[in-house]
Amino acid sequence: MAKKKGIIGNGLCHVYLILLSVIAVFPLIWVLLSSIKTNGELTANPTSFLPKNPTFSNFVHVIEDLVFARNIANSIVIALCTTIIAIVISCMAAYGIVRFFPKLGNIMSKALVTTYLFPPILLAIPYSLVMAKLGLTNTRVGLVIVYLSFSVPYAVWMLVGFFKTVPIGIEEAARVDGANKVQTFVKIVIPLVMPGIVATAIYTFINAWNEFLYALILINSTDMMTVSVKLRSLQGAEILNWGDMMAASTLVVVPSVIFFMLIQKKIASGMAEGAVK
Amino acid sequence: MKRKVKVDYARWIFVLPAMIIVGALLIYPIFSSLYYSMTTKHLIRPMYDFVGLANYQDVLTDPDFFKAFFHSIIWTIASLAGQIFIGFTAALCVNRVRHLKGVYRTLMIIPWAFPSIVIALSWKWILNGVSGFIPNMLVQLGICNELPQFLSDSSIVFLTLVMINIWFGAPMIMINVLSALQTIPQDQYEAAQIDGASKGQQFLHITFPHIKVVVGLLVVLRTIWIFNNFDIIYLLTGGGPADKTMTVPIYAYNMGWGTKMLGKSSAVTILLLMFLLLVCFIYFAIIAKWEKEEK
Repeated sequence: MAKKKGIIGNGLCHVYLILLSVIAVFPLIWVLLSSIKTNGELTANPTSFLPKNPTFSNFVHVIEDLVFARNIANSIVIALCTTIIAIVISCMAAYGIVRFFPKLGNIMSKALVTTYLFPPILLAIPYSLVMAKLGLTNTRVGLVIVYLSFSVPYAVWMLVGFFKTVPIGIEEAARVDGANKVQTFVKIVIPLVMPGIVATAIYTFINAWNEFLYALILINSTDMMTVSVKLRSLQGAEILNWGDMMAASTLVVVPSVIFFMLIQKKIASGMAEGAVK
Repeated sequence: MKRKVKVDYARWIFVLPAMIIVGALLIYPIFSSLYYSMTTKHLIRPMYDFVGLANYQDVLTDPDFFKAFFHSIIWTIASLAGQIFIGFTAALCVNRVRHLKGVYRTLMIIPWAFPSIVIALSWKWILNGVSGFIPNMLVQLGICNELPQFLSDSSIVFLTLVMINIWFGAPMIMINVLSALQTIPQDQYEAAQIDGASKGQQFLHITFPHIKVVVGLLVVLRTIWIFNNFDIIYLLTGGGPADKTMTVPIYAYNMGWGTKMLGKSSAVTILLLMFLLLVCFIYFAIIAKWEKEEK
């Protein structure tokens, strides 16, 4: 009896999970399918799934006529610079917190988490004023600086969890062999935590790639726009059809999804570690 | 003696860059906003005056602000409840099934990776009132007589936004609850089964106590995130139709970049921060009590 009940419960779980998976995946599938349909087909058959004549003309139009490639390049440069700077700074900070400030460290990482409270819309006002004063409005440098505000605290938080897993014995052995603090950090600790660092770096990249509000406020020249803001500005344009929009969306969302799948396991453990400790 | 000083110096080097970032990009802006909130600072005009608390007085007597605040509260509570319910039940199911765990997990976290602009565009297209998949499907299935206008019909637009937010946020809850579930020692369940405890009792006395601190922290983080969220609503409806989906962040944005009154806009965002501080204070008091009980 108990076993039979277990099987029914198991079956119900599968039904529920299949339902949720379909809902979760549907928008992605629909974006992908719509991106390779002609505009005529999109409006004539709103509920048909597979494209009759798959075409890449939407992509060609988006990349060639709307110079979307330039915006993709902007986003890549900005996200990559943010990631590299944030990861270097955060690795140092996370290691410092874990190793050198055993008592103060807890307060430091709690203080970092508190910054999560600050409304982005609040920060946006001083950012736009200061960047205008420094002449960094409409520049990639300005956006990278602003992106450090959310990527550094988050990366430190995740990395503290990873650095805590390094046994101190290994480091002491290196110190006995004559390595100084910096050498121990670079040659012994970093390689041990590399998988965690890579996951954190990818997560930082995705967040910078996906960011919208600061890019909206700091960038208004089409040449400097990131993909998010460019897509938003295209929304109002009359020349555009849904096929083009979905092709552009595909170019923006697919890298995020792929990267995310690569790191999904690490992300969960990193966040849980950070949250519990 | 000299050596010791050098060592101390080295350990500060590790944390210094991060401290500079936090100081310059997070602490300074808060004080800067606090100052501007008491001035007539304008987005373009260079001259401004100090006006004390006049901006706060203006904001706190504006009925539109309270409407936005009320929307923000409903938006947060409804989205959070939905995200927790879906995220929690999904995590329990994934934890329970023997096959396809990894497949479900991978598929269900996809929304988490979506940039807000693509959340907006994909749902705008799916829900489009002329050629959208869902409205047309509902008509074809005979559920609706005419194409429903999910994003412009003022009676359902708010619910539509909440649903989209649940779709986006539930995966994060699921993943975190799932990893918390996996830390529970299995022998406790075996012992409970021998003692004849039902599934419900096992959940109440083993599962929930083990994960409640993690879940509590998640709730805090999600509350802040949802309350502060600007992108999703701004990109889907811009606060409309007829201010039906106007929340505090959008109200502040319109004031700062629409009417260009940055001083007043700062006052709104400072009030927003103060409210969140209060909410967190209450949450953390509860969680601290839980942590004490555990020990």
